[in-house]
Amino acid sequence: MYTETKVTLVVIVIVLVALAVFLTRGCRPGEGTRNGSGKAGYQHLKWHDDGGVDLITFEDAEVIHLSKDELGTMFGRGKKPFTGKRIAVTVNNSGPKGGISGPLYRLRPAWEELTGAKLDIVEVPLAEQLNKTITDLRLGVGQFDGFMEGAWYMGEYITPGFIRPIDDYIPDKRFPQWDPNWLPPSLRNIHTWEGKWYGTLNDSDGQVLYWRNDILTDPEWRSKYKAETGKDMPFPTKTWQDVIEIARYFNGKNWDDNDPDTDTGIVMHFKVNEQGMFHFMSLSAPFVAMGGDKVDRGTNNYWFDPETMEPLIAQPGHVRALEVLYRLSRYGPRAQAAWDLGTAWDWFLRGKSIFVFSWGDVGALVQDTSRSKIRGKLGASVLPGSYEVYDMNNKRWVKLPQPNVVGNTTGGSWHGVISSRSENPEVVYSFYALMATKPVSLWNVNRGWTGVDPGASIHFLPPQGTADLRGFVDAGWNESDLRFYLKAYHDNFFADTMLPYLRINGAEEYWRALDQNLSETMIGRLSPKEALTRTAKEWDEITNRRGRAAQLKQYQRSIGYGR
Amino acid sequence: MEALRTLKRRHISSWAYILLAIFVAAMTFLPFYWAISLSVRNPAEAFTVTGLAVPFVQYKPTLANWKTELATGETQKALVNSTIVAMCAALMTIVIATPAAYAIARFRFRRPSNGNIALWFLSQRVLPPVATAIPFFLIMRFLGLLDTHIALILLNTTFNLPIVVVIMRQAFIEVPIELEEAALVDGANHLDIFLMISVRLAAPSLAAAVLIVIAFTWNEFLFALMIGTIKAKVIPVHMAGAVDTRGVQFWFVAVRTLIAMTPPVIIALLAQRYIVRGLTFGAVKG
Amino acid sequence: MHKDNRIKLLFLLPAVLWVLCFTIFPLIYSVRLSFFNVKIGSPDEFIGLRNYVHLFQDQRARSSALITLIFVCCGVAIQMTLGMALALLFNRPLRLRGILRTVMTMPLFATPIAVGFLFFTIFYEEGGLINGLLHLNVPWLSNPYWALASITIVDIWQWTPFCFLIFLAVLQGIPAHYYEAATLETNKGWSVFRFITLPILQPTIILVLLLRITEAFKVFDIPFTLTTGGPGTATQVLTMYAYRVGMRFFNYGYSSAISVFLFILVMVVIMTLFKKIRQTYQ
Repeated sequence: MYTETKVTLVVIVIVLVALAVFLTRGCRPGEGTRNGSGKAGYQHLKWHDDGGVDLITFEDAEVIHLSKDELGTMFGRGKKPFTGKRIAVTVNNSGPKGGISGPLYRLRPAWEELTGAKLDIVEVPLAEQLNKTITDLRLGVGQFDGFMEGAWYMGEYITPGFIRPIDDYIPDKRFPQWDPNWLPPSLRNIHTWEGKWYGTLNDSDGQVLYWRNDILTDPEWRSKYKAETGKDMPFPTKTWQDVIEIARYFNGKNWDDNDPDTDTGIVMHFKVNEQGMFHFMSLSAPFVAMGGDKVDRGTNNYWFDPETMEPLIAQPGHVRALEVLYRLSRYGPRAQAAWDLGTAWDWFLRGKSIFVFSWGDVGALVQDTSRSKIRGKLGASVLPGSYEVYDMNNKRWVKLPQPNVVGNTTGGSWHGVISSRSENPEVVYSFYALMATKPVSLWNVNRGWTGVDPGASIHFLPPQGTADLRGFVDAGWNESDLRFYLKAYHDNFFADTMLPYLRINGAEEYWRALDQNLSETMIGRLSPKEALTRTAKEWDEITNRRGRAAQLKQYQRSIGYGR
Repeated sequence: MEALRTLKRRHISSWAYILLAIFVAAMTFLPFYWAISLSVRNPAEAFTVTGLAVPFVQYKPTLANWKTELATGETQKALVNSTIVAMCAALMTIVIATPAAYAIARFRFRRPSNGNIALWFLSQRVLPPVATAIPFFLIMRFLGLLDTHIALILLNTTFNLPIVVVIMRQAFIEVPIELEEAALVDGANHLDIFLMISVRLAAPSLAAAVLIVIAFTWNEFLFALMIGTIKAKVIPVHMAGAVDTRGVQFWFVAVRTLIAMTPPVIIALLAQRYIVRGLTFGAVKG
Repeated sequence: MHKDNRIKLLFLLPAVLWVLCFTIFPLIYSVRLSFFNVKIGSPDEFIGLRNYVHLFQDQRARSSALITLIFVCCGVAIQMTLGMALALLFNRPLRLRGILRTVMTMPLFATPIAVGFLFFTIFYEEGGLINGLLHLNVPWLSNPYWALASITIVDIWQWTPFCFLIFLAVLQGIPAHYYEAATLETNKGWSVFRFITLPILQPTIILVLLLRITEAFKVFDIPFTLTTGGPGTATQVLTMYAYRVGMRFFNYGYSSAISVFLFILVMVVIMTLFKKIRQTYQ
């Protein structure tokens, strides 16, 4: 009994100590334990005599040079215009060296030294970010000054006026300088709402097709292909059918000597409640999207009927696309039904798959030889097309002489927007703008792990853009890989026809419903037709619950219908 | 002869039991071993080293993942937050629950009866947390306590209160009442008796209860996810961030897993003697 | 028992009030919400039983309920059987029993959310622990049936030790002379178990069953991290569905209806075991 009493006493003492700790420092948590900023003896800025400055990144201590003009007039040696201010910005939870959130950590100390302000990086898991911020905004709590949002959040933020336009700030010479015209119209579209700017340049998302160029251009494999199938290898691939043919041929063969196991034709990421639905969107685009100058049910439209808000997701074009996706998925590893992005990418990086169609991160990660075995073996292009496209106006299939190739801005294009509840919008904007300046943006794009993918003209090589090959090569890029990569992205973002982006209230909920049904298809529980019919039914329910009239009005605005 | 055979049989079966015991223990321990093994690998080796993945044999272990993770301000902060919330919740719970347990154990209640009061407390554990999640969220919003330690402490006190009441009630019942009665005769009041005699005699159970509350609070995820965003972000929520837009990073998952699990596992080992009793709310003596 | 005294209320009331405030009130509030269409920012709209009508027509809710029931029944049954079998086997003097007990204590408090992530790496199909070690090719997470089995296996891993430790404690408390008397009459191990051990264990079995069932119904962290409810909706248990509907998509009313339904489901299961357990505590 004696020792047991002692144990109790020890426990109670611990509790009391904890209480004391809580009372003395817990009242202002967040102070003192934060890393990076304010570390004594570690400068994150180096001023030049011409007024330019070197930003020194967190931990890696890499140098990014900004000229005086790029920096903006409010900053200068010892100016610190926002001393004493503190802002909080939400971002996807990926840690100090993960995609999208990583660059915030890298730049934070330098920005804090420039401005004198403090930045709280609020990491939230991807699946929770929208609901966390929306709940905060609707309840009027106002914990956050800004959000690094996915483009599909914007509808949710816009209508109640939760975020503020930045048109006044952009031309303002006081702030770090970036130019909205760097972005192609397709991307400009998702950073703006009805002509007003809300988002700053950061990440540019879109899916392109990557392949193993060393294998597909290998004469030996090409002749083997012909010998076995009796046909020429349909490469470069023009349609999804070509991709399926090639994937089918290579799947289950050990065509790569990286390991003794057999490899696959393609790899995708279908884990439910993650980002599997993006695969379907970008693959289905050429079966559905018709280009043209107008906007109506069948032209430059994908999601809903702009007159009735009837879901179009179960139309024959969409259904055929899902059938194609399903067939293609058979030539990938079975486990991909439960794989997220990282796992699927890793499969490709390890040389286990011929194809992958995904975001810009893949091309950049291929260059990282600690994870990748295929540096210098990469090919990339805009996503393949389809010779047939379903005309939703006239309800019939249209045959085309050339494949219908559609660009996409699938994904989040994660970028900063400013809360209208923020008391310090200028402070927030100064951070976003610093991230959007040419040197910082290029620094991010040059490095794959940042998750910041190319899309603006400053990221492309001449003649398409103004970037310098040297910056990429210095960051470890293989030149052949790079040229494929940048051309693919340029073709994608500048395509004549673009996949319209769903940006209305509840976009997240519509997409999640689609995602679950897609996942059911991939495990064989629903046929493509059943899955999309069910999706359409659920979309109708969501529309009704959220109010059909309001949803319709917002949808029309978001796609520019009737203007 | 007969005796020898019996001896032999017993001997063999004893070895079989030992082997079985080793097997069961290995099965239970294997996931912990795997976490440790993953946490000291390079990212590139996370996928490529297979099988038992013995360090030094199949790959060269590195502490780099640990260093990066522990040096991150957010991790340190989450650890501090978790500790504060768990300790304070434990303290609040025992302060409120122990007197109630004493009352149920020592005084007669007629309507409702003592047993029914205990059962009523116990039945609170039946309620699925998700059923009260939204109201709780709205209440905390109303009180202006979102993203504070206080909110998490209040919540966890609520969840653990019934457990402690039931555990301590059983403990007080088992403490001999004679000492207390003698003290009463000497003119001591009930509060003094409770504090000076009963609590002291029931100390082991109290310690077990505190440890259990700390562990449960440390592990609580659903409400922590809803309530704690910036200032009150605790370990499980921080942990959930090992998955990101770019996928699960196995090597960080392993490190964060171990950081999250170590304290409660140590607590379980410390309180080994009382755990059976605590987890059955005093009904089974360990 | 002490003599009646007003002070007993002073001891009891804080805890009672606390529970009323923070448990009963939210529950009532939840029930109220379930009759409304709740939109933050605009007044709640009373819609009667429409959320519940929807619940019974909702295919997802039905499949979630089924998944939850399968998970609870299979998981708890296997844990109990395994735990009991191990306890009976090791209820004898054995050198390693101390170590075994210590190791078996470890999973009990292991943070569920971390356990989920950990098993994600263990079930990884291309070279994870299990498939890599045993050279298997089991679709742990990509096949709907295996995925449900996987979350059940995690639950079994974590909670079999719990059953084991409790049963062992009770078995060791049985005085030796019970058995001595029995062995004289019959020598068969099964009859000893059936007529001596089982009756003594019965209250404990019911208690453990009760505790495990209530906890298993609450499962959230494991599928949340291990499978995110997938593939498809194969492991989307009721708690996850309620969370998804309520916290992700702000359909608070319907989410509350799901939660209330879950609560009733648990209560029905518990009530059938309730009478027996009452004896243990009175």
